[in-house]
Amino acid sequence: MEVQKEAQRIMTLSVWKMYHSRMQRGGLRLHRSLQLSLVMRSARELYLSAKVEAHEQTEVPSLPARSPDPRLHPLREAQAAAEAASPDGEQPCSEPMDTQEAPRAEETPARCTPHPAKVSRKRRSSSLSDGGDAGLVPSKKARLEEEAEEGASSEVPDRLQPPPAQAEGAFPNLARVLQRRFSGLLNCSPAASPTVSPPACEGKPACRPADNMLNVLVRAVVAF
Amino acid sequence: MFLKFSPRAMFYGAGGGNDIQWCFSQVKGAVDDDVAEADIISTVEFNHSGELLATGDKGGRVVIFQQEQENKIQSHSRGEYNVYSTFQSHEPEFDYLKSLEIEEKINKIRWLPQKNAAQFLLSTNDKTIKLWKISERDKRPEGYNLKEEDGRFRDPTTVTTLRVPVFRPMDLMVEASPRRIFANAHTYHINSISINSDYETYLSADDLRINLWHLEITDRSFNIVDIKPANMEELTEVITAAEFHPNSCNTFVYSSSKGTIRLCDMRASALCDRHSKLFEEPEDPSNRSFFSEIISSISDVKFSHSGRYMMTRDYLSVKIWDLNMENRPVETYQVHEYLRSKLCSLYENDCIFDKFECCWNGSDSVVMTGSYNNFFRMFDRNTKRDITLEASRENNKPRTVLKPRKVCASGKRKKDEISVDSLDFNKKILHTAWHPKENIIAVATTNNLYIFQDKVN
Repeated sequence: MEVQKEAQRIMTLSVWKMYHSRMQRGGLRLHRSLQLSLVMRSARELYLSAKVEAHEQTEVPSLPARSPDPRLHPLREAQAAAEAASPDGEQPCSEPMDTQEAPRAEETPARCTPHPAKVSRKRRSSSLSDGGDAGLVPSKKARLEEEAEEGASSEVPDRLQPPPAQAEGAFPNLARVLQRRFSGLLNCSPAASPTVSPPACEGKPACRPADNMLNVLVRAVVAF
Repeated sequence: MFLKFSPRAMFYGAGGGNDIQWCFSQVKGAVDDDVAEADIISTVEFNHSGELLATGDKGGRVVIFQQEQENKIQSHSRGEYNVYSTFQSHEPEFDYLKSLEIEEKINKIRWLPQKNAAQFLLSTNDKTIKLWKISERDKRPEGYNLKEEDGRFRDPTTVTTLRVPVFRPMDLMVEASPRRIFANAHTYHINSISINSDYETYLSADDLRINLWHLEITDRSFNIVDIKPANMEELTEVITAAEFHPNSCNTFVYSSSKGTIRLCDMRASALCDRHSKLFEEPEDPSNRSFFSEIISSISDVKFSHSGRYMMTRDYLSVKIWDLNMENRPVETYQVHEYLRSKLCSLYENDCIFDKFECCWNGSDSVVMTGSYNNFFRMFDRNTKRDITLEASRENNKPRTVLKPRKVCASGKRKKDEISVDSLDFNKKILHTAWHPKENIIAVATTNNLYIFQDKVN
């Protein structure tokens, strides 16, 4: 679904920006990091809600699910419009995503699931190649970190071509990584972060007091 | 008898309509399109009389321009600004403990009011504030007994008479010397400095803390605001700007990344963690979007000269607040509302993080701020008219009146209008300054400084 793809794209973009901001002179900037993490959180919420919507829609096509987040209401309208197959391509400016995007109304729910992750993986690479971060896609990094934690070791390129069944699962890894990492921001019960061990000296970019949050954010994007 | 200042321009000072016409006066800086990063202007500030104009750049340099004495015969032009002094204020440093490079970029310059022949200003980078003394030397002593004029020592045995050295005129030399260095007080990046109306103390603000300094004392400062949470994972907002009230030496405000402004009274307690007033406008639900949170971040806050109002700048608008009313601004001006539908693209190219500043004119009747495509905007609070002008070398004949510009948001583009998609987002005007008494404005593009004046008939 378009919304899911867009959310994925923005999440990946944010992760890339966070990584890139480490390289800047002057180090990580707290305000910028905070803003990026806010966008990441919104994108993640959007992605997960859209995913929930998609699942519910395949079960109950007529009723769009209720969501507590008012931010998602414009999306629900968009989806309702899509379901009603209205030909209108022009979305109101309350549409959270860029209205320059291809008209979402034309997407039918039926088209949403088959290979969204695979398509989005392609999109992700292409959007990142502009950034000049040759080769290394944050999703790869996040997945590598997952695997590193699980103790698995495998080649990076192999992981890039997962079969479709796994592709669906591949992206949620990033979402899960971010979910775990940003649990503090989401005010959930604090996820245990024993996996976040004291950082190695050379990997440490931020002011020491600026700390846990930044370390957490940084570690989410740096696999090695 | 020629009037020095046209009273019409002085007191009406309108930004739009027929009341005032802005003319190109000067442009400073390199002409070529290839911008050296060190030349990027990062701050612009007039001194209290308006005679001096200081700029800071990314390379850590400060350049001060001085207005020429007005030509009394030709009253149709005000004095030009020429380079008065240039010095290296900050150098890049390296924090070995944190493995961090500290940028030399000058974040802010603030002038002290003039007390004697010398001028003083505060300049700051991310970590260190410096007090600079700028003084003129136009005489030098000559006629030493033991030294030659070039400084070589004379052989004492050749001295047969004694003379008293005397001061003789010399070519004007402007010297800048650092008088105080206020360092090691900020863990995070300094975003603001503001001199108190007592002219003895000043504040410096970083992302999480605000410190109060005495201008004479460099080895300690008082922490007056600290919003760092015990657990950094709970961090939800940072301080984005801070300023002292122009008249009340106990009052200051600071703005946050969440779009709120807190007014604090230092008499209430030593640590001003509890605000006296909280200025916040409820979010308009129809404008709620994915990026609402980050575009509500306030990038600049400025008190009016009167001290009755304050102005805040967020990504899309300028708001004027009455200090007596906390629940909403009294005026809101849209700077570039046509960008609201482009926020996603602006996030991709990082423009959404641009920090625009804003400024008042001397009489607090007009406010000004920058935009993209080298456009800047003025809003007249009395007539409610606004105008968009462009800082461009194309109109660079002195006294050429600037033509108002218009951005076409959607639909058919009229002649002379510019469509949103053709705006150059690399050409941004983040820093502007207005002369405290006259209608002279300084507008900084990426690496050029433009000076515009109103047309004096």
